Amino acid sequence: MPAIEFRNVSKSFGDRQILKSISLTIDEGSIAVILGPSGTGKSVLIRCLIGLLKPDPGGQILVFGTDVAAIDERRRADRLKLYAVRKRFGMLFQDGALFDDMTVGENVAFPMRHHGGRMRESEIKARVADKLARVGLKDAVEKMPSELSGGMRKRAAFARAIAMEPDFVLCDEPSSGLDPVMAATLDELILEMHRELNIGFIVITHDTAEARLLGGRMGLLNKGELVVPFDATDKVLRSNHPAIRQFFDRQKDGPIQVV
Amino acid sequence: MFKRGWEALETLADFLQFVRRAARVQFLRVPPRAQFLEQAVQSGVGSMGLVTVLILFGAMGLTVQGFTSFQRVGGQSVLGAFVGIGGVRELYPVLTGVIVGARVGANFAASLANRQISEQVEALEVMGIDPFHYLVAPRLWALTLTLPLLCAYAIFVGLAASYFAAVHQLGMNSGNFLNQLSQFVGFSDLAAGVLKGVVFGWLVAVIACFFGYRSRKRDGAEGVGIATNKAIVISSVTCIVVNMFISAIMYT
Repeated sequence: MPAIEFRNVSKSFGDRQILKSISLTIDEGSIAVILGPSGTGKSVLIRCLIGLLKPDPGGQILVFGTDVAAIDERRRADRLKLYAVRKRFGMLFQDGALFDDMTVGENVAFPMRHHGGRMRESEIKARVADKLARVGLKDAVEKMPSELSGGMRKRAAFARAIAMEPDFVLCDEPSSGLDPVMAATLDELILEMHRELNIGFIVITHDTAEARLLGGRMGLLNKGELVVPFDATDKVLRSNHPAIRQFFDRQKDGPIQVV
Repeated sequence: MFKRGWEALETLADFLQFVRRAARVQFLRVPPRAQFLEQAVQSGVGSMGLVTVLILFGAMGLTVQGFTSFQRVGGQSVLGAFVGIGGVRELYPVLTGVIVGARVGANFAASLANRQISEQVEALEVMGIDPFHYLVAPRLWALTLTLPLLCAYAIFVGLAASYFAAVHQLGMNSGNFLNQLSQFVGFSDLAAGVLKGVVFGWLVAVIACFFGYRSRKRDGAEGVGIATNKAIVISSVTCIVVNMFISAIMYT
């Protein structure tokens, strides 16, 4: 049984329809890449997945058996269900979203302090050090986010996202705003954590090189629709669908239009 | 014109929804201690210098103005009443509410708006932490509890400044002045000032948090400025309007 399943999920803001009847499945511990040009609803898709946005009625989003789309945040029981789902996820935001009033170490420790149950302080410290070492920032524990470069901030945010060793980490444009070397480093980190900690990753990006490198399963979103069914990356790459060809061959003209 | 009216109504509806959620979290759950203490120290202790200078000069101005005006009509004996009623009952609490409200409210609005545009609020939500509990409730409690104390403090500073100006600068008889004052100002006025502080504090905090919290990433840096601006303007106006109603209810 897949860990995550979208069934006919649509999302509109006012009269603008952003997602149109999306269906896809993601297996536990796997890598899934959602590609697409800017403004096609990639961010909206992952925000619906963890209940930050509520999709239009009619669709279902099953996450570890809970229908996130049916959750009514005004009801306490539903809210608790949603929080339980969210605890299985980490999220790497586009610009890191580190809490700027805390040091890097406190940022990484934050989810453990709030959800770690009775984790001992020494245990938290050890985990923070371990996670920061994995992303190559073991000397930055005491630094404030404002003292870090863009790439360091993103890696610190990555350490925070994997701090609780969640089932999935959602990555919102992990390579955007980074130089190619740093982008490659981050991709390598994703693969490493996938291998070593068996964490699943759902990555949204417009970087075709990143999509190829990460592998797993892939879908290309255009104007709120998957242009071909969500499937294994190799299979999608072999497709002759004009939108796929346009996107991967970096062509100006084709079904994907600049908005 | 019609469109602006509609937008204002929508904002009001959003605000009422915000208040409902904020009040529920504020009163039904214990706020996180560290955040509350940090906010309380920043808004309370951090505003004392400002209140001292402001009320000191405001009160002395009021006293000098009253003294010279009443002198012309030979009614110096009402100076104590003038200072007592004008200052203690009206000016000091409302001035404290407006100025501290502007200082702390701007702070709340800007910091929450910043956290919104940098996705820190969403980051909390993803971690399963209610941002209303972690960010909004401590700020509401902090200002609701510190502003009344600041209002009480302002009343003492104001009375001391008036006494100093009247007796030491303008040469009034100390006993006379205190006698007049005590006829018009009593413990109930201090209580009224404190009550106004509670009301202003909660209103300013909830208005400022609302405007900060509703900023979105796409609003960018300009959005932080707009949110802060609205928080200050609307909370100040609200304080002055509400002050009138509280006075009308308590003193008529």
